Amino acid sequence: MAQHVGIDLGTTLSGLAYLKGDGTPEIVPNSDGERLTPSVVYFDAHEDVKLVGSAARDGGDPERTIFQIKRYMDDPDHVLEIDGKKWTPAEISALILSKLKRDCEKIIGEIRDVVITVPANFNELARKSTIAAAEMAGMKVKRLVNEPTAAAVYYAQTQNVQGRVLVFDMGGGTLDVTILEVKGGSIRILTSEGARHLGGGNLDDLLVTAFEEQYRAQTGQGLYTDERHRRRILQSAEDAKKMLSKLQRVNDTVANDQNSGLARIDLTREGFEGLIRKMLTRTVLLVEQALDSAGLKVSEVDHVVLVGGSTRIPKVKKVLEKFFGKTPKSCGNVDECVALGAALFAKSSAKIQEVCNASYGTLAMIYNAATGEEKVANSVVIPKNTVIPCSRSQVYQTSEDNEKVIEVDITQGEDEDPRFVDVIGRLTLEVPPNRPKGCEVEVTFSYDENQRVQARVLDKASGRVKEVAVTYRGAGVLSEEELQRRSQHLRAMRIE
Amino acid sequence: MSSKSVPEKPARRISEGSVLEKVAKGEKMVDAGKSPKVVAKAEKKVSAEVLCGIQPKMGKAEVGARLKLLYRRYNRGASSLDAKMRAESETMLDAIVEVREKFFGEI
Repeated sequence: MAQHVGIDLGTTLSGLAYLKGDGTPEIVPNSDGERLTPSVVYFDAHEDVKLVGSAARDGGDPERTIFQIKRYMDDPDHVLEIDGKKWTPAEISALILSKLKRDCEKIIGEIRDVVITVPANFNELARKSTIAAAEMAGMKVKRLVNEPTAAAVYYAQTQNVQGRVLVFDMGGGTLDVTILEVKGGSIRILTSEGARHLGGGNLDDLLVTAFEEQYRAQTGQGLYTDERHRRRILQSAEDAKKMLSKLQRVNDTVANDQNSGLARIDLTREGFEGLIRKMLTRTVLLVEQALDSAGLKVSEVDHVVLVGGSTRIPKVKKVLEKFFGKTPKSCGNVDECVALGAALFAKSSAKIQEVCNASYGTLAMIYNAATGEEKVANSVVIPKNTVIPCSRSQVYQTSEDNEKVIEVDITQGEDEDPRFVDVIGRLTLEVPPNRPKGCEVEVTFSYDENQRVQARVLDKASGRVKEVAVTYRGAGVLSEEELQRRSQHLRAMRIE
Repeated sequence: MSSKSVPEKPARRISEGSVLEKVAKGEKMVDAGKSPKVVAKAEKKVSAEVLCGIQPKMGKAEVGARLKLLYRRYNRGASSLDAKMRAESETMLDAIVEVREKFFGEI
């Protein structure tokens, strides 16, 4: 059986790595001979087979092809219907993981326990969905680890660095910025900040718009009318983006799907940098937020490390170099280092101290003793960046006489304003009747190593206790029963 | 004001369901005046500065601090479980970038 396996379940590419006998991590290729597998699933109309990877990405009907499902792992209502069957994001991800497991087992033997990487900004639901996907694929998640953490583990080990490291991880769908401290053989995460929809895919979308504008200017017509053709243009745009990382100017000839003629698309690096400028400003805002969150100044960061395919864009490096006044270093192979780091993490997790990625608390009526003012606010119990695993308690008081039920909302987010946090669960505890207001209720949150939260409420007077792990409801969320049933079904599927 | 400032009487839990209901209905519960009602204003094409609550009298440092607060708030909102909040956050993030470029220059 393969030991110390790490999986990077990426937005655009996924990879599996394991630790060799000499302790070095290595990527395991899939059955198509590729080191990384495109995170794309195709549902064939004629054969009962699910294609995963390059074959799915390059050849299929776009109406039957699922791209970038990872973007929807945190959406409780996201469901895809194909041939009358509904698929949740966790199930689609399970197909990708199944392909990796089945292919790689042929090379390294049975794969059971794995470390899977997730974006630092993945919320509770997305983490739960990732664990469910692995279970459906027949694997047990030993740990979820944040992608920048995995990359940093790989970087620290291979480059032998010490000091404070800022990892800038710009992948296909998200940007994560993590700051950590390497001392001897130990790594301490200081903070992680993430931004959704700030990855290579968003830059591709901007380029598609540029293609469209140039096509319309030359022909007076639109560039595409259906999804199949838009996909082709998207691929051309992605190719152009990659070339612009090496060349100052590229051109392409494209046609629309209505025989409106050809148009020559001219793109310059300068023009591309103008297109993505606002996106890059958002990346700087996130870096600033990470520094604030860690209480650090720019000068207190010793190394800036680049991870993810989008960091190949020269302007990304330039912006960071200008901001930090030092040249960012590439994390070796920016596409593979997350999976490689996950394999290393699988063995050395004890030497890595992680922190809560978000604050957890409850909604409460806050009383200001000085002003007498009352307002509903998010009362944080576990602050972001608390070392995990951890457990924290806070005591509240009931607000009305004769309360029969105490309800505690579980919130995720550090903002005091309830509109800017998510209520991710509610705990209900029945209490004895006929009690005055002001009875003490102790709320305890526990946060485990996989960044999953549990809540416990104790009514101090009666001693009654209730404890729950957070569960979600929505069309895109599987119940435990459905999870078991669909796991069995999925394991019998033909996946290639 | 957080509950931590009054530890001996930290907070009073309000009764069943009422917090969520009041917040969902948009009742003026928590400093509503400080946060712009972005969706309604965005539809009227209000400027980025107005969306971000930037006043003419604000100095650069104040604008910077305001943008940091808004960015933290709406970057988180962009991955909210609430679809409406996600959409609202995208509008606000665009406005934040625009104001930042105006006051602090392009990157």
